[in-house]
Amino acid sequence: MAILAIIALGVGFFAGVRDTTPAMVNMMNIFLRENNFYDYRIISTSGWNDDSVNEFSQQPYVQYAEGSISLDALYCVPRRSIDETVLKTHMLPENINGIRVVEGTLPAKADECAIEHNKGYKIGDKIRVTDTNETETLEILGNSEYTVTALVMSSCYINHEKGTTPLGNGTLDSFVYLHKDAFDTEYYTEIYVRFDNDYTMYSEEYDEFMENRSDEWETISEDIALKHHNSLMDDAKAEIADAKAELEDKRAEGQGELDKSAKDIADGKKQLADTKAELDSAKADLDMLKAFMGDSSPQYTEGMAQYEQGLAEYEKAVADLEKGEKEYNDGLAEFNEKIAEGEKEIADAEKKINDTKSPSVYLLDRNTNIGYALFENDSEIVEQVAKVFPIFFILVAALVCMTTMSRMVEEQRTQIGILKAIGYSEASIMGKFMFYSCSAAIIGCVLGFFVGTRLFPEIIWMTYKLMYIPLEMPYYFDRELATAALAVSLLCSAGTTWISCRVELKETAASLMRPKAPKAGKRVLPEYIPFLWNRLKFLHKVSIRNIFRYKGRFFMMVIGIGGCMALLLTGFGIKDSIAGFADTQFNEIQTADGAVSFETDKADSIRDALSEKTNGFVMMRHGSWDLLYDNRVKSIELDAVENYDDISQFMVFRNMEKNPIAPPELNEALVSHSISERYGVEIGEEITLRDADMRELHLKVTGVFENHAYNLIYISGDTYENQLGKSLTPNKAFINFNDSENINSQSSAINSIDGVISVEKFADTRDRMADMMSSLDYIVLLVIVCAAALAFIVIYNLTNINITERIREIATIKVLGFFRRETSAYVLRENIALTFFGILAGVAIGIPLHSFVMSQIKVDIVDFSTVIFPQSFLYSAVLTLLFNFIVNLFMEVKLEKINMAESLKSVD
Amino acid sequence: MAAFVEFKDVKKTYKTGETEINALNGADFEINKGEFCVIVGASGAGKTTILNILGGMDTLTSGSVILDGTDISKMSKKQLTAYRRYDIGFVFQFYNLVQNLTALENVELAAQICREPLDAAEVLKQVGLEERMKNFPAQLSGGEQQRVAIARALAKNPKLLLCDEPTGALDYNTGKAVLKLLQDTCRKTGMTVVVITHNSAISAMADRIIKVKNGKVSNMRLNDNIVDVADIEW
Repeated sequence: MAILAIIALGVGFFAGVRDTTPAMVNMMNIFLRENNFYDYRIISTSGWNDDSVNEFSQQPYVQYAEGSISLDALYCVPRRSIDETVLKTHMLPENINGIRVVEGTLPAKADECAIEHNKGYKIGDKIRVTDTNETETLEILGNSEYTVTALVMSSCYINHEKGTTPLGNGTLDSFVYLHKDAFDTEYYTEIYVRFDNDYTMYSEEYDEFMENRSDEWETISEDIALKHHNSLMDDAKAEIADAKAELEDKRAEGQGELDKSAKDIADGKKQLADTKAELDSAKADLDMLKAFMGDSSPQYTEGMAQYEQGLAEYEKAVADLEKGEKEYNDGLAEFNEKIAEGEKEIADAEKKINDTKSPSVYLLDRNTNIGYALFENDSEIVEQVAKVFPIFFILVAALVCMTTMSRMVEEQRTQIGILKAIGYSEASIMGKFMFYSCSAAIIGCVLGFFVGTRLFPEIIWMTYKLMYIPLEMPYYFDRELATAALAVSLLCSAGTTWISCRVELKETAASLMRPKAPKAGKRVLPEYIPFLWNRLKFLHKVSIRNIFRYKGRFFMMVIGIGGCMALLLTGFGIKDSIAGFADTQFNEIQTADGAVSFETDKADSIRDALSEKTNGFVMMRHGSWDLLYDNRVKSIELDAVENYDDISQFMVFRNMEKNPIAPPELNEALVSHSISERYGVEIGEEITLRDADMRELHLKVTGVFENHAYNLIYISGDTYENQLGKSLTPNKAFINFNDSENINSQSSAINSIDGVISVEKFADTRDRMADMMSSLDYIVLLVIVCAAALAFIVIYNLTNINITERIREIATIKVLGFFRRETSAYVLRENIALTFFGILAGVAIGIPLHSFVMSQIKVDIVDFSTVIFPQSFLYSAVLTLLFNFIVNLFMEVKLEKINMAESLKSVD
Repeated sequence: MAAFVEFKDVKKTYKTGETEINALNGADFEINKGEFCVIVGASGAGKTTILNILGGMDTLTSGSVILDGTDISKMSKKQLTAYRRYDIGFVFQFYNLVQNLTALENVELAAQICREPLDAAEVLKQVGLEERMKNFPAQLSGGEQQRVAIARALAKNPKLLLCDEPTGALDYNTGKAVLKLLQDTCRKTGMTVVVITHNSAISAMADRIIKVKNGKVSNMRLNDNIVDVADIEW
C-alpha cells in the first residue's frame, strides 16, 4: 500500500508537471489551428490592395492570404471611469486569425462590432470613436458609434497583454472587430498569410519551416509591396496627367471664350464708332437743315427727334460696351488665377510623388504577436521548473520504496526462512516480492499518471488562465512520458525490492527462521565529549543516541526534510529574485521618472520644451549596436549620454556589490551585468561595437553595473563624438516629472510636444512588469504544496517505520508509566532534531538549486538577480517545522493507540 | 485488615467482530501486602488478562479492582498511566529492555520518572550486575537481561511488582536464579510480588497460590509449606 501510494504520488508529480507544458502548448495549438492563426503578418508603409492579396495567395505553400486593416483608436466605452480607452481596431477576418464567438453574432453591418469577451462589455453596448482621434483615423472610421453584437476571443490576443500604443496612456486596453464596410478606405494596412502546414507551434519543425521561408518571403513581400506602390504611383501619375490635360482643355476653352469676348468688344467698339459717325453726319445734315429752313420746320423737328433717339441709343450701347469690357477684364484675371492654381496643384502632386519613398515592408512572424510570444515564455518557465522538481519526487519515491520494501522483507523474514526451508528457490521467493512490489508500482504508476496528468496541467493552466484567454484544456496524453514514468516506477520498486531481498536471501534458512537480533546499542560520538554529554538531560541523551544509531534513517530523514526545505527555499527564492527585480530596477537603479524618445532633428526645440515641462532631464543618443564577441554578434542597446555628469539624477551606476562605479572617461564604457555575465566581458577588456552602417566603436570596459532589464552599455557623449567623428544628436532623454502627482497629464503634455515619439512612464513599466510576474505566485504556491507533500510523505513514512520497528520499546516506556506527552516527546524529539538537521541541509541544497532554477528560467532581456531574502529562509524553515509538527500530531495519535499488552506479549 | 490487592467479580470481554470472548468471567481474589503470590493457569486461562488489568495496561468490563485502598477500575487513562508510573513495577518474559541504552541507563530510564526512586546503580548492585552496568542489553545474557529488567522495576520503588512468565525465556538454572532474586526481594524489602506462570511447580515457593481456569479463579490458597527455590524442580 505504501509503495502504491508513494509511486502514485511520485509519478503523479513527475508526469503531471512534465505534462503541463506539452498540454498547454497542445491546447493553444489546437485553438490556433482551428482559427487559422497567421504565419506571417506583412505590413507595408504604402498599404496593400486586393491584387497584392491575390499575388500572395499564389505563392507556394500558401493556404490563405487575406488583407486586413488594423489601427489604434480612442473610444469612449460604457461603464469606464476613464474617458478614453485605446482599442486595437481590426477588420473582421474571413479565413485567417479566426475569432471564437462566446456570445452573440458577428457584426453584419457597418455600425456593429465584436469586442473582447470577459472585459466587462455586454451585447448591445455602444462604443463611440472620440473626436480626439487623429484625423486619419476619423477619416477611415466612417461611423462614430458601434453596437456590440458579439463577445469574442481572438487568436491574435491569447494574452491579456495587448501591447503598447502611441495613443492615450500607452496601453492597448482591448480589441474590437468591425465589419468590412465600416472602414472607409481602399487599402489594407496588412496582409495575413497562413501556410499550408500542420507543425505544432514553438516546435523545431515549425521554426525550421519558417526559417526556410523567411529570406524568400522578404523578397516576395518587398516585390509585391513595390508593385502595389508602383501601381499607386502610376495611378497618381495618370491622375496628374489627366489633370494636366483637363487644365489645358480648360485653359483653351477659357482662352477661346475670352478671345471671343474680346472680339465682340472690338466689334462693338467699331459698330459704335460707325454709329457715332452716322449720328455725326446726321447731326451735320440737321444743322444744315436748320440753317436753311429754321428750327421750326417739321422736317427739322422730326429729324432732330430721330437724331436724339439715335444718340440716346448710342450712349446706352457705349455704357454696355464699357460694362462688357470690365467683365472681360475680370474674367481674364480669374482665368489666369485659376490656371495658376491648377498648375500649382499639379506641381505639388508631382512633387509629392517624386518625394514618396519606396515602401518599407515589415515581414512579421508569429513571434511578434505578443500573446504568442508570452505564451511560449510562460510555458517554457513551467517546463524548466518541471525539469528540476519532479526529480526530487522520484528520488524520494525511490527512498520510500526502499525503506518500505526492506521493512516488508524484514517482517516476512520468518516466512522467507520457512519457504526456503521447504525448498523454494531463491528466485521464486524473490519473485513473490517482485510480483507484489511491481504490481503495486504498476497500479500506482497508472493511477498517479492519470490523476497527475489530468490534475496538474489543469491547475497550472487555471492559474495562467487569469492572464490568457479562458480555453478549456483538453487532456493530453504523452506516450513517451507514460513510458518513462512506468519505467522509472518499476525501476524504483523492483530495484529496491531486489536489493532488500538479496540481503535477506543470503542468510541460511535456519538463521532466517530465528528472529533477527535487535540492533545492538552502542556508544555514539558525542558521548566521548563528556563536557557536552554530561550536561544533557537523560532523555536527550537517549534521543541523540537513537539519532546516531539509525544512520540510514537519519540520512533519509535529513534528505527528505532537506529536500522539502530546499524546495520551499527555491520557491520563495524564485519569487524574491523575479518579483524583486522590477522594484530594484526602477526604485534603486533607474531612478528617473520616465524616458522620452523623439525625432533627432527636433532635439533643440524639445530641449527647450523639456526644460519647461520637466524637473530635469538628460539627453542621450540611444541605439542598437552589435557587440562582437567570439566571432559572434549580440545586439545590445547603447546609450551615449550628452552630459554624463547629469545622469546621476536619473540612473544609479553601482556594481553587483552595490558600490558606486566611476563614470566612464573618454573611450571607456560601462556594461550591464547581463552583458558581462553572458558574453564574458570583463573589466579592463576592450570591446568592439558595430552598428548597421558598419561603424565601429572600440571601448575599454571600466565597470560592470547592476541592471535587470535590457542589455545596456553606457558611454559618454565625448567618446561617441570622438570615435565617430560627428557630433552627437540625441534621440532619447531620461526625465523627472515636476511633481509626483498627475503623472499622466504631465506625460501627455510632453507627448504633445512636436517631435516627441513616445513617453514611457517608469512607474507604469514597473507595475506592468510586477503584474506579469505575479503569476509566479501560483508557481510558488505549487512549489509549497509539492514541498509539503514531500515533507509529509517522508516524515510520515519514516516516522511510521521508526515507530513500527520500535514498537516494543515504545510499549515498554508506556508500561513504565510515561505520560502521553512524554511518550511522544521520547519518540518525536528525534524527528524534531532531524528536522533541524534537515533544515540546515535544505539551506545547503536550496541555495544552489535556486541558482540553477534561476539560470534555467533566464529571459534574454531580463537579468534576474539571484537573491533569496532572509525572510524567505525564515518562512521556509517555519513551514518545514509546521509540516513536521502536523505529521507529529498524526503520530501522537498512532502512539496513543499502541496496545502495550499486545506488543509486549511475545516476540514478533 | 483489608487485603492489599482485591479482585471483585472482574469480567473482561474482548470483542472481535461478531464473536465475544470472555477472557475473565468473574474473577475474585485478594493478595495481602508483602506476599509473594503466584498465579498459575494453563494458556488462555486468563492469567495474563489479570496481570494486564492489575498492571493498569488494560481496562475491565465489569467488577472492581482495588489496590491499597484505591479503586483502579474507575481510573481514566491518564490516571492509569500515573498508577503504572508510581505504583507498579513490571517484569516481562522477554525483558523488553531498551536496546539502545546500557543496563544502568535502562534502570535510570524508569527511575527518573518516579517520585522516590532508588539509586539505579545501587539496585543493579543488589541484583548482582555491578560489573555489567555499562553494557548494552545485546552484550548481556538472558538471565542478566532479566535481572536488569527486575532492577528497572525495583528502582521505581513500586507498591506492587508484577512478573509475567519471568523465567519463560530462560534456561532452568538461570530461571531459578531469577526466581530466587524475586523471592529475596520480597522477603528483604517487604514488597508485594505477583508472578504469573503456567509452570505450577513454581507455585511451591509462593506465599499464596492462585489458580486460574476458564477466566475464573478456581482455587486460591495460602501455601503452608513454602519450599526454597533451590529445592524446586521442574
